[in-house]
Amino acid sequence: MRRNASTWAAEAAAVFVKEWRCEFRTRYSLNTLALFAFTTLVVVSFSLGPLGVSKSQGTSLLPVLLWIILLFSVAAGLPRAFVQEEETQTATALRLAATPSALFCGKLLYGLSLVFALEALVTPIYVAMTSLDVASPGLLVAVLAAGGYGLAVGSTLVAAIIAQARTKGTLFSVLAFPVLLPLLVLAVELTRNAASGAAPDVALPQLLLYDAVVTIAGLMLFPLVWNP
Amino acid sequence: MVRGLWSAQRYNQDPWPGVGNPPTLQGGEIQQYFGYSPRVPTTLHFESVRRRFGRLAVLKGVSGTVEPGGMLLVTGANGSGKSTLLRCLSGLLAPDSGKIEYQENGAGLDIAERRQRVGVVSPDLAFYAELTVAENLDFFSRLRRVSSAAGFAVLDRLALPADRLAGALSSGMRQRLRWAWALLHSPRLLLLDEPFQNFDAAGERVARELLAEHLAGGGLAVVANPSTLDFDHAAQRLDLGG
Amino acid sequence: MKKLFAWLLWLWLSLVIVGAFCYAPLAKGFIGESSRILFFHVPMAWVSFIGFIAAAVWSGLYLFGGRDPKHDRAAAAAIELGLIFGVLATVTGALWARIMWGAYWNWDPRQTSLLISLLFYGAYLALRAAVDDRETRGRLSAAYALLGIVITPFLYWIVPRITYSLHPEPLINAQGKLEMESRMTQVLLASGVGFTALFFWIHNLQCRLQALLDRRAAL
Repeated sequence: MRRNASTWAAEAAAVFVKEWRCEFRTRYSLNTLALFAFTTLVVVSFSLGPLGVSKSQGTSLLPVLLWIILLFSVAAGLPRAFVQEEETQTATALRLAATPSALFCGKLLYGLSLVFALEALVTPIYVAMTSLDVASPGLLVAVLAAGGYGLAVGSTLVAAIIAQARTKGTLFSVLAFPVLLPLLVLAVELTRNAASGAAPDVALPQLLLYDAVVTIAGLMLFPLVWNP
Repeated sequence: MVRGLWSAQRYNQDPWPGVGNPPTLQGGEIQQYFGYSPRVPTTLHFESVRRRFGRLAVLKGVSGTVEPGGMLLVTGANGSGKSTLLRCLSGLLAPDSGKIEYQENGAGLDIAERRQRVGVVSPDLAFYAELTVAENLDFFSRLRRVSSAAGFAVLDRLALPADRLAGALSSGMRQRLRWAWALLHSPRLLLLDEPFQNFDAAGERVARELLAEHLAGGGLAVVANPSTLDFDHAAQRLDLGG
Repeated sequence: MKKLFAWLLWLWLSLVIVGAFCYAPLAKGFIGESSRILFFHVPMAWVSFIGFIAAAVWSGLYLFGGRDPKHDRAAAAAIELGLIFGVLATVTGALWARIMWGAYWNWDPRQTSLLISLLFYGAYLALRAAVDDRETRGRLSAAYALLGIVITPFLYWIVPRITYSLHPEPLINAQGKLEMESRMTQVLLASGVGFTALFFWIHNLQCRLQALLDRRAAL
């Protein structure tokens, strides 16, 4: 039974539209992400003090905190995409109807849109509240895009894995952290480069390579994870 | 004539088709009884299917065959493995051993293709509570890459309100939605687990009509239910005991 | 035959221990007798890494080679042993670091990469513990193991670049000449072989034990 590319894309688009339609009606994920991000943001700003940190310390410290905020917000809000399917038992209908790769792409696009929205919201406020000087904003945007993509794809795949296990909340963090660690290290280094104005050398291609590798791994492993 | 060929006793002995059995209906005979052409042979055959969950052996070597236009009625007490068998047949569960062969148009389908070709009604099928009935059916018809016309036609027959949120449906309405969903893509094989659960008399009548039309068109059906649902004069029986 | 192998292995490892303390000379640049730990620390780190690779291979065989429970058991046993040897390597490394550099933990890149591998092993075992159905458990943990092995090269590339290395220079330098004396090389290689054999011997025992447990659970 042949499936051609144009309707595969339509399938992925249908999944994406369905996710956002459900999300708009409940606003559960958006609320969780936004609340978590803002709370962490405020805590970080308070702990740094009203006068902020010195410029040299800030360049090395503040990027780390930004990515921690992003990582934990994503961990709070993204796994729901798959976990909720299993909990509300709609996964059975999906397994019988959807092409796995299209489903993965649809969920990935949804996760990506959430992450990019989160970054667009958090980063300007963070930069303002911590008085972080960004020497190359172009590089910062590139890092947020590539790093955000990596967060989304890694989290989507791990969410698909843990959705069929028990103790999903804590298990997601345990499984996702080792997978996302290279991404975080590279993203933090590149964000530091963006803040200090240094050239990014080999880290940016490595980040893009990570994104590509995890995407391919996701496309290959997801059908095996999703179906028996 | 049909009743004599397919009797419950034969299937309790797990016969191998074609050995010591009455001959299967030939093309002309099928046409005579069901009024459809055998140019599109669709058959389901499963053999020695076993499945256990941990220590519990739920399916202990179950076999059967369903021919075009045929219905297999699976009965048994609670816990005898009816739902598990249906989930194995639909491809949602892989059996520990045994084989399941499903052919459409003469071509065999593997488990992934079978999973997407069958129509399933099951008590644990749920839909998106935040979407309306129409949005649910539209979403799944896009996933299945079919036009939603078939699904909405069944919706009309089952008298389901298209604009109600799926989360606001009564249990009987949910069962009607399951039937509409199962028939979205005009499947050749229907796997029905407790198909008339929660139905009122009108709903059950429409569902029986839908099933009869499906079988008359040459489709296959496997129905699992604790009781026989008054089908025993027309169906093969597979009793899982328990 | 198996008994003979077990005795040979015992003999081999005993000789390695004796050789490490009596036969091999002390390395230059190391404080006191501390270089002797090298003969155990390096092979154990190496074996832990082998465990990860072996688990990934068996996971691939499980997923793409017919879902044989034997492969699933082998992958899980390899990860468990990889975790044990990894913990031992980390502990011996920390003891040695205390002697050489004054602190147990220095964020040295090799220490850090080993620690991250341990995180992977722990996550894999946590995943296995959280799934009840045998078939689902095998499928999910195999997928995670394959994901882990695909991520690992990134760890080994990026971690050394962000921390200053206190680890000694690689034992085989650019010219391809061994920097150690030949006796040290002999003991180190013998130890490597011994620990690898030990790993696969325990792995074999663990697989057979788990097969028996699975068969009893199914009865």
